[in-house]
Amino acid sequence: MILSWQFILMIVLSSLFLAWFLYRPIKSNLSDDDSNIAINRQRQNELESDISQGLIEKAQYQEAEEEIISTLASELNKNESKNITIKPLIWSMMIFLFVGVLSLSVYSQLAPKIMPNADNGINEPLSMTESINKLESYLIENPEDFQAWKMLGLAQVGTGNVEKSIESFEKAFLINPNDIDLLLQYASAIAANQDGKFYGKSKILIEKALSLDPQSIQVLYFAGIVAAHQADLDQARDYWQKAIYLMPESHPDRNIIEEALDTILNLQVK
Amino acid sequence: MLIEVGHFALVLALIFSVLLVVLPSIGLYQNKFSLAQLAKPLVWVQCFWIAVAFFVLMSAFLTNDFSVKYVADNSNTQLPILYKASAVWGAHEGSLLLWVFVLSLWSVAVSLFSKRIPSDLLNQILIVLGAVSFGFLLFLLFTSNPFERLMLPPLEGRELNPLLQDFGLAVHPPMLYMGYVGLAVPFAFVVSALIRGQLDSTWLRWTRPWALISWAFLTVGITLGSWWAYYELGWGGWWFWDPVENASFMPWLVATALIHSLSVSEKRGAFRQWTVLLAIGGFSLSLLGTFLVRSGVLTSVHAFATDPTRGLFILIFLFIVIGGSLVLYSMRYNLLQKSNPFALFSRETGLLINNILLVTAMLSVLLGTLYPLILDSLNLGKISVGAPYFKAVFVPIMLPAVLALAIFPFVRWKKDNFSRIASLLRYDWIGIVLLTLLARVVLTDNIYVLIAIGLFIWVSVHIMVLFINRIREKSKFSLAFIGMIIAHLGIAVFVLGATVTTQLGIEKDIKMSVGESQNIAGYDFIFNGVSPYKKNNYSGFIGDISVYKIGKKITQLRPEKRYYQSGMPMTEAAIDPSFTRDLYVALGEELAGGAWSVRVYYKPLVRWIWLGGLMIALGALFAAMDRRYFLRIKS
Repeated sequence: MILSWQFILMIVLSSLFLAWFLYRPIKSNLSDDDSNIAINRQRQNELESDISQGLIEKAQYQEAEEEIISTLASELNKNESKNITIKPLIWSMMIFLFVGVLSLSVYSQLAPKIMPNADNGINEPLSMTESINKLESYLIENPEDFQAWKMLGLAQVGTGNVEKSIESFEKAFLINPNDIDLLLQYASAIAANQDGKFYGKSKILIEKALSLDPQSIQVLYFAGIVAAHQADLDQARDYWQKAIYLMPESHPDRNIIEEALDTILNLQVK
Repeated sequence: MLIEVGHFALVLALIFSVLLVVLPSIGLYQNKFSLAQLAKPLVWVQCFWIAVAFFVLMSAFLTNDFSVKYVADNSNTQLPILYKASAVWGAHEGSLLLWVFVLSLWSVAVSLFSKRIPSDLLNQILIVLGAVSFGFLLFLLFTSNPFERLMLPPLEGRELNPLLQDFGLAVHPPMLYMGYVGLAVPFAFVVSALIRGQLDSTWLRWTRPWALISWAFLTVGITLGSWWAYYELGWGGWWFWDPVENASFMPWLVATALIHSLSVSEKRGAFRQWTVLLAIGGFSLSLLGTFLVRSGVLTSVHAFATDPTRGLFILIFLFIVIGGSLVLYSMRYNLLQKSNPFALFSRETGLLINNILLVTAMLSVLLGTLYPLILDSLNLGKISVGAPYFKAVFVPIMLPAVLALAIFPFVRWKKDNFSRIASLLRYDWIGIVLLTLLARVVLTDNIYVLIAIGLFIWVSVHIMVLFINRIREKSKFSLAFIGMIIAHLGIAVFVLGATVTTQLGIEKDIKMSVGESQNIAGYDFIFNGVSPYKKNNYSGFIGDISVYKIGKKITQLRPEKRYYQSGMPMTEAAIDPSFTRDLYVALGEELAGGAWSVRVYYKPLVRWIWLGGLMIALGALFAAMDRRYFLRIKS
């Protein structure tokens, strides 16, 4: 569970705010009877204004007046109830405990189980190896967590353990085979194990990503690489040109694709 | 950490909604005044934390925090800042947060501007609003969390739906939600009165201004939506009869019936049962709209999600709200039976007719909206119910309602006779017939347009006579009266605008080459060509069309065809607006030989549609400001 001073502060401030109103309750404005009397009196005034302007006749006025009186009579309710005083301190404590316990319990259920940099108030980032260990122990208890498997795979790629990363990506793939980002990472890991060549399963994975999202810039970039490895330079050029067209001017990956495209064009010219 | 604070703020709001239901209820039923009076502070603190959550999410959009899934899915660094802010409500999770935020703002407004409402009733109302917000917060946190983090944040986000990258999105949903969610307030008044068994003058009096204000917002929201669809979707339509549009239109029809029914209940003590049912119905229909948009049963430009879990949650909530309210209604039925009598020809009857027509119209829209969905879900085939059905059914139902709205303000409460009205208005009626015949000779022979002109004259003349009579009688012009006049005139303006633009509008899909000219409704449209251009988050083509009338240049129109990152093409129409007509041009596809397909529209009186809508909303606001609602009550 994630517990931080900000949360405690939020709970304390809210509880103090409510406690203030327990000690100094907002004044009651008026009763139902006051309100009904005032409204029906106003109706009667309107009626008198209507008859003075000749909008209604005397008989109508009398009928309407009787209706107002009978309505008011039926609405008046003299059941005044006694106010029972409470002990503000006890209620304030109860509110504080209720809000504190319940809000933190609900939040611990809803919050992500792994929060980088949020453990025990330590703000220093974990090393890659520590992250991998933590993820591995987490995945023993939560083997169906797709994001965790994907993250583990990425971390393993980061430490150069490509074989292991392929295993982790495979686990993630079995849980969700339609995640574009995973398909690209998984294909890259396999390709890294094949001297950087995209063939076999890595090619199939890129093709699957392309069928899922033919407009994705990243997918188009990888599809271009696959086509280039197949020596289909026209196809590679088409993919990269499309990617560049879809990219904003200031996209960070723009230069990479432009360079790849230049290489292809130079090769084609030669 | 800020994102976690936003998330935790929502959790706190949920907990405070529980306290809002529990503590004041204990106070009310055990006569513990201090606890009952805690309702207001609880509403304030709940609203505060929801506001914190809302602005934390907005700051995540503004600072491109793609570690938040919702931000990464709906924004990117290239998105203009206005759309980053409005992207907060551009998809399901954020729009639901906006819904909850708006509900909390309404609750705070009720707590602050209800000094004339007895404390016990007010606390009960806030409890009911707290229960509604509890349901929505639960839904938000457990099925639609906008603060969900991504384990691997992308460097760049995806894209806000290009259709929604528009000023219209920045204003249409908040306005619509103010209306939609605002219907929770009259609902809360009614349910509170039912719970307390105090169905007296007080709740009737104070329900109406809140119903009027929420109705005004709903009207503005629908009007803005229609305007946005007109200029953004590129085909010049202003109403689709799309199921999601219908989902906002149905509560509007019921709320219209409600504000009229409330006036009878408040003034004459009649129709109480009916008023209660309409208040429950209005809010239930706004929940039904929420279900339709978010359950995945609909596919539409408005539909947010295809998640059955969410749909099931709202469906259960809908059943609890409708079922619970109807159980309360049946328990208090005896208290609602009391009604003051009225004659067959009286203003009460007029308002009853208005109510029946409005509810019938709503049912016809409901049938047309739900029938295809029911057939589909039962695997009985797919059918499409479109504009022809709605026009054929809806228009004839509303025609007598427009006729009646001009006459019944002249009719007295309780009892009147037709001969008095006829003798008062006979010369005006003759004048109206003559003016309509004149329109036939001078303006048009289109029967639908003539009916619309006749209705416009009918309503306008009656309003004028009503005005003159008031001056003669030296009566005061209350804001309620002025509001009624503006709103009814707004209906006439809307009817004329909608009919004329539909019947006399000209639409042409044409192929145009550079230098080619097309004459439409007396205007010459000359195509000067198309040039490519590029902006931060999209690229596209911009057309150049000069418009002349009898050799004189009127305007230069520059329609656009945009392609966003996702590859989705968007048509940005170019419009030359005016009070009497719009000239509307949209760029289609590039054709062979440098030609382009171009859509050119001539739209007479189209602005009157939205002018009418705004007049209706303005009328409601005037009526809500009437001095009757600022009554001084002393304890």
